[in-house]
Amino acid sequence: MAAPTQERPTEDLETPIRAIGTELAARMPRPRALSTARAERRMQELLMRDPALRAALFRFVDVRPACTTPADVTRHLHELLAQAEESGHARRAAAIAGRKLATRPVAAIAATGVRQMAQRFIVGEDAEDSLKAITALWKDGVDTTVDLLGEATVTEPEADRYMQRCEDALRTLADAAKRFPARDVNLSVKVSALTPLLRPEAPERGIEGARPRLRHLLNVAKEVGAHLHVDMESFDTREAITDLTLELLSEPEFADGPSAGIVLQAYLVESPAHLDHLFDWARNTPRAHPFTIRLVKGAYWDHEVVQATQHGWTPPVFTDRRACDRNFELLSRRLIDATPLVKIAIASHNLRSIAHAAAYADLRSVGSEHFEFQVLRGLGDDTQAALAATGRRVRAYCPVGDLVAGMAYLVRRLLENTANDSFLAAAASGTSTAELLEAP
Amino acid sequence: MTFANEPLLELRREAVRREALEALEALDAKLPLEVPMLIGEDVVQGRVFASVDPAGPARVVAHAHEATAQHVADAVASAERGHAAWSRRPAAERAAALQRAADILRSRRLELAALAVREAGKPWTEADADVCEAIDFLTYYAQGALALDAGRPLLQLPGERNAMRYVARGVTGVIAPWNFPLAIAAGMVSAALATGNAVVLKPAEQTPACAKAVVDALHAGGVPLDALHLLPGFDEAGKALVADPRVHTIVFTGSCAAGLHILEAAAQVVPGQRHIKKVIAEMGGKNAVIVDSDADLDDVVPALLKSAFAFAGQKCSAASRALVHRAVADELTERLAGALGTLRVGPAHAFGTDVPPVIDVAAQQRIERYIASATPLAQGETRDDGFYVPPTLFAGLPADAPVVREEIFGPVLSVETVESVEHACDIVDASDFALTGGLFSRSPRTIEYVSERTPVGNLYVNREITGAMVGRQPFGGGKLSGTGPKAGGPDYLLQFVEARAVTENTVRHGLVV
Repeated sequence: MAAPTQERPTEDLETPIRAIGTELAARMPRPRALSTARAERRMQELLMRDPALRAALFRFVDVRPACTTPADVTRHLHELLAQAEESGHARRAAAIAGRKLATRPVAAIAATGVRQMAQRFIVGEDAEDSLKAITALWKDGVDTTVDLLGEATVTEPEADRYMQRCEDALRTLADAAKRFPARDVNLSVKVSALTPLLRPEAPERGIEGARPRLRHLLNVAKEVGAHLHVDMESFDTREAITDLTLELLSEPEFADGPSAGIVLQAYLVESPAHLDHLFDWARNTPRAHPFTIRLVKGAYWDHEVVQATQHGWTPPVFTDRRACDRNFELLSRRLIDATPLVKIAIASHNLRSIAHAAAYADLRSVGSEHFEFQVLRGLGDDTQAALAATGRRVRAYCPVGDLVAGMAYLVRRLLENTANDSFLAAAASGTSTAELLEAP
Repeated sequence: MTFANEPLLELRREAVRREALEALEALDAKLPLEVPMLIGEDVVQGRVFASVDPAGPARVVAHAHEATAQHVADAVASAERGHAAWSRRPAAERAAALQRAADILRSRRLELAALAVREAGKPWTEADADVCEAIDFLTYYAQGALALDAGRPLLQLPGERNAMRYVARGVTGVIAPWNFPLAIAAGMVSAALATGNAVVLKPAEQTPACAKAVVDALHAGGVPLDALHLLPGFDEAGKALVADPRVHTIVFTGSCAAGLHILEAAAQVVPGQRHIKKVIAEMGGKNAVIVDSDADLDDVVPALLKSAFAFAGQKCSAASRALVHRAVADELTERLAGALGTLRVGPAHAFGTDVPPVIDVAAQQRIERYIASATPLAQGETRDDGFYVPPTLFAGLPADAPVVREEIFGPVLSVETVESVEHACDIVDASDFALTGGLFSRSPRTIEYVSERTPVGNLYVNREITGAMVGRQPFGGGKLSGTGPKAGGPDYLLQFVEARAVTENTVRHGLVV
């Protein structure tokens, strides 16, 4: 497996990284006195120590929206906890959930708990409903990008509905943004929701299927002056998503707008070569708004490894966390060096990765007109507050959708948050700031 | 030695797809291939018949030479001689020959996948999986036969020494299907060979060239010419092989009707025959996927599409019924109907094809008759430049409708609404078949209930119901789906051997010696 190049910038970055990281850590909200926060932290610690209970609870969160009655909720909760019987915590919980008299309260608590958890991550059921949370962020000087959650697209009408929801969101947000001249309208879209025709072995089918809908959204975004960002998904679809996005943005009608961008996943072993490809394209495609590249670690790691293992393939992702973190830093530097050809967003909750990018951007005097941070709503709130407090530009990625649609998202985020190698988990379990800021 | 499945081609990468298309082009330049009979040392000509590309029947893939009853008699006579020598070879030597054959298949894998694309109309991912499964069978059975050769431990008491070992049964007739033209032929043949049996292979008339590729690899790997014979042909050869009194074991994969005929014919003991024939049969199914009210329909729709319509539903494991809980039936049916329109019907060699043609004109007409027997809820596209059938969805048909009861072996799925999982299980129990089945549920208790109750040989929970992997999903079912052979599993080879126990008295003159 090709490790990322070990090159280090000539200047010493570690000193400013420690300084920036320490300041950010100091500005994160203090451990709250609120009992709910303490309970949440205790819950998180418990889940990290008890994989069986963690699995049971995530399976419950996953199935919860499909439960139609309180009895159904309780039955699933009880069965899933019973399955995790090697765990003492789960056994006690199952005994409580299984008591007849407890059915209604347990179901109510479980149902409400899932709803509350979901609400931490999801800003509203639809664009209109999310305006309260979005404008609150805007008032705090935080930018947003909205992501419309929904069921998987398996039919053409479902793809049409997703496109329509995207258009409605663009127009609703643009309308609301008139009162916030310093803020922008930014929507993240998923190609897999724009067509039911994505096929890993035939990217041209997904491209043909999604092209008219993505073109329409680009036109709407241009019309209302919004930024459209194409999310990256699993490796199976990377070729189709990349080719479609670059192809449409190469069309003369989009040269003068809208502002648009794509995502680079640092966990992909071949991401450095992919970045070469994106840079080549950007150099050859002059645009009124520089092409934006959002650097992320990547959210489909388990999927990629499982799929590759079951098919006998070499996983396309780094299987060593430190190698992945080093690649993230390498790509951060290359992206910062490439401004103003491209605009860049560093999307991470890893204090070290954030401090590294900030230190390097400072060194290269790259300012917030070309460079921003991005965090996930619900997971990155503390980071977002600290970044904003230190005068750095930060954008919150805000999912919008109903409870059913939000579950897949919620489960993914919760699993990430409590995984053993998770940065947030390490931060939550009391690892010192100095350790968190060590070079990977 | 630990077994691992052969890695599939990573066709999601453009470079790999390009290589595959180059292999297809190279193959096309060589067509038609010649498939003679291989009877011991002799390469035998006969009446010539053609195998064609189901996506363009004008393209002849192979000219094969048809075996008659006389050719079968010659091949069995040769196999009797070959069996005497092959069964005495050390198990390690036989296993090494199979391993070398696996290496040869591996070195030709793109070419062989291209051949399955052309001759069987298998889309690339399926064709590649067919090659990989053939390699898996050779490797898995080679390793399994070595383990079996060590015998099994028995109870030992003072004064006696007990041993049990396994020996080859005798000449084995293999009648192979066209739908896994490489894998199933390779699996049935290699299981017999690994355990020391000489083989006469009669492949499906639609795919003789694929069968020859497997036989060539085994011969080149070191299996003697008189231990493995190839007889392309039709019913006459198949019937003669089943009836021949010198054949000990018949291994068959195909339709239920043909399988029942074989079982009946093989039961006849003719004068001079001093053994009972054993039939190992895998005979198809009418496979149902149960969808409970707590299923995630985002997962169910793609899994059902793949299970029912991939390779045009021409797998014994394919789904042909969905038994859907009333609470989600309307929504699922609507989404399935909509999704049917996203399926591209086309030639197997096009990477964008979802539903390829069916194998031949007879299959096309049979499936069309089923489709015409009721009113479809939704139907996909079709075309007329090959043996194409539109993917078709039925809903709410009566329980006695032929579409609901009979194996169609085509791209046809019927949705039925059920009141509960118990109700769905009752329906599954009432079927003639018990091969594969599916369940979508997120309740551990429901999964346990169905796992325990359902009679199917392979139950798949919360995934598609096709694509059994050697060593991971031993394949085969009960009821009229077959004799439950469980191909690719740890017990499969036991059906190709007889166990012999030897007990020696170790007491001499009152002393244990």
